[in-house]
Amino acid sequence: MDKLLRNKKALAVFMLPAFILFTLVLFIPIVQSVYYSFCDYKGFTAPVFIGIDNYKALLSDKTFGIALKNSIFFLIFSCVSQLIVGLFFAALLTNIKVGRNAFKNIIYLPCVLSSAALGLMWMFIFSPKLGINQLLEKWGVEEPPLWLMDTKGHIILPMWIIAFVALWQYVGQSMMLYMAQISGISKSLMEASYIDGCTKAKTFRYITLPLIKPMIATAMSLNAIGSLKFFDLIYNMTKGGPNHSTEVLATHLYEQGFKYFKYGYASAIGVVLLVLCLIVTLFINKVVKTEQYEM
Amino acid sequence: MKKRRILATIMTAAMFATTLVGCGSDNNSSSGGSSSSGNGGGDSGKVQEITWMFWDDLNATEDLISLGYKETIERFNNDFKGKYHVTPITTNLEEYYNKLNALVAAGDTPDVFIVSPGPQLTDYVEPGVAAPLDDYLNKDGWKDTFTSDAVFTQQTYDGKIYAVPLNTAAACCFYNTEMFEKAGAKVPTNWDEMMEACEKLKAANYTPVTISAGTAWCLSMVAGYLCEAEGVDLSKLADGSASWEDGKLESACNKLLDLSKYFQRTAAGDTNDVATANFYNEEAAILIQGSWAIAQINGSNPDFESKCGVFQFPGVDRIIAKSDSLCMSSTTKNPEGAAALIKYFTDDTAQKYTAEKGGKIPVTKVQYDVSAAPKQLGYVMDVFGSAKGTFGFYNESMPTTETGAHFDDTMVSVFLGDMKPAEAAKDMEEFYKANCRK
Repeated sequence: MDKLLRNKKALAVFMLPAFILFTLVLFIPIVQSVYYSFCDYKGFTAPVFIGIDNYKALLSDKTFGIALKNSIFFLIFSCVSQLIVGLFFAALLTNIKVGRNAFKNIIYLPCVLSSAALGLMWMFIFSPKLGINQLLEKWGVEEPPLWLMDTKGHIILPMWIIAFVALWQYVGQSMMLYMAQISGISKSLMEASYIDGCTKAKTFRYITLPLIKPMIATAMSLNAIGSLKFFDLIYNMTKGGPNHSTEVLATHLYEQGFKYFKYGYASAIGVVLLVLCLIVTLFINKVVKTEQYEM
Repeated sequence: MKKRRILATIMTAAMFATTLVGCGSDNNSSSGGSSSSGNGGGDSGKVQEITWMFWDDLNATEDLISLGYKETIERFNNDFKGKYHVTPITTNLEEYYNKLNALVAAGDTPDVFIVSPGPQLTDYVEPGVAAPLDDYLNKDGWKDTFTSDAVFTQQTYDGKIYAVPLNTAAACCFYNTEMFEKAGAKVPTNWDEMMEACEKLKAANYTPVTISAGTAWCLSMVAGYLCEAEGVDLSKLADGSASWEDGKLESACNKLLDLSKYFQRTAAGDTNDVATANFYNEEAAILIQGSWAIAQINGSNPDFESKCGVFQFPGVDRIIAKSDSLCMSSTTKNPEGAAALIKYFTDDTAQKYTAEKGGKIPVTKVQYDVSAAPKQLGYVMDVFGSAKGTFGFYNESMPTTETGAHFDDTMVSVFLGDMKPAEAAKDMEEFYKANCRK
């Protein structure tokens, strides 16, 4: 292995495919997008450089404000809820012996299903005349809530619903990550803590939690990036409506790019999204301080 | 060890080869599955493929106009068997322009595509996506078959025609005659009578009006009528000689709020299709919609035709009229075939169908059987006859697509209570100052 690693030609040959792929599908488009974000670009004619005008326009774009607020809401909600619920399930399932695999599969199942299909399914469940409301009407509720149509409040009801659906869909992923890390903790550590008189809760607090901190940072980063670029569930459940009130950065970008041909402006939104992802990832890695322990 | 290396090399080569196979293109796929054993009518002896993009699923739809388009394509494919073959690219209306724009941006513009006249058509004319059609229209007297040159007004840019209208529709109020009768409501002729009729319908436990604010242009269409009633002049607003803050829009918004008290509870999120279904499923008494809805109403619930009346939006002299138009891509490889396809949509067979089955007003001089046409078309023609003129959809009569969308969103904001009428007027004025006036 060492011999192979010293062979620079071999290293270059092995790295080249990945490097070409990375450059073609990631690096060049990112650079292009950053350039277009400084241009008036409609897609049909050559881009015209306009400096930071697109970024200035973002500041006065009300829908961008709503989208940014909603994206940040998603970010916070996803990070917190997936950490708590994911850890809870992971701790629970690593401690039960009967039905562990069955529960693990049930919780993880929504992760492998198409978000578009799930979005449509939940849209029907929360539709005014079908799903939950049909049941509520049968039970005598005269005016059941308009789950995906309400527009009152700072964070409107449809946003909470979409956030819960997202939690339901992706909590399995966080749970699996935490379970993998918890499974790697040596049993002798746990047994030693029990001998020292620790309860299960204390063992979790003082042994498990510190040891899975690196995974918490990783899972939170993944959740944060995933929630910032969130698109499919929202697009299929509300299409950003009513009246843009459930718009997030990704749906706003899509609308500006593909509905109004404003590729330059859409690229500026994309750049903001990219920068936000970088900031949040750095922030999480800074806040969740990890130390390496022997497990 | 050596054997293993050889095996590994073979496996790697096989993996790499299969990857490349996945990326390879099939040279035979350009005919889109159609027969290539044509009779030599095309340039290369192969069937020439034409793509046609439309905003309804032709296989799933119950809309009679869409079904008529499907028939036209089948007729074209039969008549030009071995020479041309049309493949429809369909999507729902809400997604239509997003998908069309994605195709245009990818350099894969459909050969023929449907578009609304106004700024949306401008979006394709200005960058040269749509081709001028004058040469084809002037050939073989095609243009003379149309009722008048005026049908091309909204499709003409710098004296050149860039789209061919297929039919005309007028925005009217459709109403359930049975519900009106039971509620003791009269067909309204002015705004006060409209409010009175809605009140009576509500008192009789009917939902007076079904509308979609989820599909913003539906609500905006009503707002457009209310603005017209208040005397809003869009051309003066565009050049800056009038202001949105002159009180007219505010007054129109107040009327919209008055009317919204009679909307169905789910209006905020209902789509156009859902709002229309509320009407033909007899869950609401009035539907304010374009006469293209006739095809949808009669296609989905044929029994409802006898109960469906039509009246002009009260308090206005003119009516909103619009046409579906077909554009030809400037990059099409088969301009002759694409033009021939567009012509099929305006021939006598298609135009007769438009009136007799679809309930839309034909754009050509075709003679159709009035007795065979839906009853609602007769009522719409009466409304047309008594109107003092027509005007376009408000969102399609503004300087850009985005301005129209902003108007739609502002009207929805007023309806949802997110904006007061005066704020809406201020917002529109600021938007015009920033984006529409030079």
